[in-house]
Amino acid sequence: MSSPIWEVVSFRGSKKSDDIFNALKNVPLFEDLNPKELKEIEKIIHRREYKKGEPIFRMGDPGLGMYIIIRGAVNIVEETETGKSHILAVLNDGAFFGDLALLDEAPRSASAIADDNCDILGFFRPDFLNLLYRRPELGIKILFALAKIIGERLRRTNEQLAKLEQK
Amino acid sequence: MDNYSYRLYSQILTLFWRVLLGLLGIAAVIVIFPYVKSILVLFVIALLLAVLLSPSVDFMERRGINRGLAIVIVMLLIIGIIAFTVSLIIPGIIGAVESLSSKLQSDVITDLNNNIENFFAVNFNNAELARNITSKMNEIGLKLLSNMAEFFKNVGSFLASVAIVPFLTFFLIKDMRFFKRALIAKIPNKYFEMSLNVLQKVGNQVSKYIQGQALDAFIVGCLSVLGLFIINLVFDNPVSQFVFIGMIAGVANLIPYLGPIVGAVPALLIAVISNPPNLGVVLLWIIITFILVQVIDNSFVSPMVVSKSVDMHPLTVVIVVIIGGNLAGAVGMLFAVPVTGIIKVTIAEIVWGLKHYKLS
Repeated sequence: MSSPIWEVVSFRGSKKSDDIFNALKNVPLFEDLNPKELKEIEKIIHRREYKKGEPIFRMGDPGLGMYIIIRGAVNIVEETETGKSHILAVLNDGAFFGDLALLDEAPRSASAIADDNCDILGFFRPDFLNLLYRRPELGIKILFALAKIIGERLRRTNEQLAKLEQK
Repeated sequence: MDNYSYRLYSQILTLFWRVLLGLLGIAAVIVIFPYVKSILVLFVIALLLAVLLSPSVDFMERRGINRGLAIVIVMLLIIGIIAFTVSLIIPGIIGAVESLSSKLQSDVITDLNNNIENFFAVNFNNAELARNITSKMNEIGLKLLSNMAEFFKNVGSFLASVAIVPFLTFFLIKDMRFFKRALIAKIPNKYFEMSLNVLQKVGNQVSKYIQGQALDAFIVGCLSVLGLFIINLVFDNPVSQFVFIGMIAGVANLIPYLGPIVGAVPALLIAVISNPPNLGVVLLWIIITFILVQVIDNSFVSPMVVSKSVDMHPLTVVIVVIIGGNLAGAVGMLFAVPVTGIIKVTIAEIVWGLKHYKLS
């Protein structure tokens, strides 16, 4: 059974695009933003390229923010103390992960490793908090979308728990 | 060469190149520093101003004002306040210095010349020697005055350089985020998250520290002005230019331990020069005022507004202030503690990052 934390809640289509603007438009976190507001997000987003096998973040690292895959694939991996690891999810173009780190610095619950050469966007808590302070109306839209995503995950977790209890 | 020797040889060679590059780097910094010192000081001033003014700009941006326009408004306001304060204070100071120097020239110097000539004429019967001595003294005096003219010329060129500060400040406030983003874009993936996190934490702590110090300096300045104003009311104006002295006390307060003394000395000097009838009592009250200001600052103001993350040992403060003075004069002394605080916070955060991130 896959963990609801790493499930992609929803993203509209998997249209390949290396245009940051279009990639952002397809992320549920930014779905309520108008083009002008998306341009504002575009200004604070970081674009990174990762080679196959390169870690994006490691389990236990302080959480800093979320990533959106423009192109490539990312493995979400749980590492045990004995050094063994198992893949929790494989995420592809348009998927996003690490969004809970937008809220606090709690250690990452799993590692994210590039499964292919990846083109990725990073949206980080310090920039988000700064945006929330400077442009509260825009920050609140993102915060509300984040709350909806977390709520959706919680609902799915409850459903899975209920199923387990029935068994 | 066996495998072990080869590895050892290659390690020693790598170490040699690293040390050589490190030493060359240090030498380059030492050689370049004198040429970039003045622009570096201006940049530090602009950076401090950017940190101080950013909250006001963010506040205006929150209310829907375009960021560029908000920066212009805030900077015009600040320049206006500074110009107004300077226009209030400077004529008074120039007047006081002029009256003091004319008093010294007319009375003291002439009297001193006459006394010396009389002394030599009466005691050694040698007016020629006396004239030589007095002319030598006058020569030294003229030299001092011309040095002073040179000093003011330097101040002029300094002020011209300072005109660059508003431009630097404008672009630092407007584009700081983009500078940070451009800088972080160059960091390898392995260190990316750690660097971004550390940079952000350092930025936050440094901003809080600088804003806290500025607020503390402002409050100490206001308290000093208030105290000296009351002394002026009670003792018939023994401390002229008390607003200016209060400002010096506020700014000097940026240097822990030494600042309060630097703040009190001008007030005591002015009181001594104006020589009121009850000088002893006035001096005592000035000292009490500055002690009271320090007690209020250390007990109530400083704990509330100044970040404790950059607390320094008094000996460290003295050493860094001396080093700052050697590197960049009075400005260096003033900024020595804040800059050391920034370096301390940066090192602490880098150590935190190295401890918490898995970089292997």
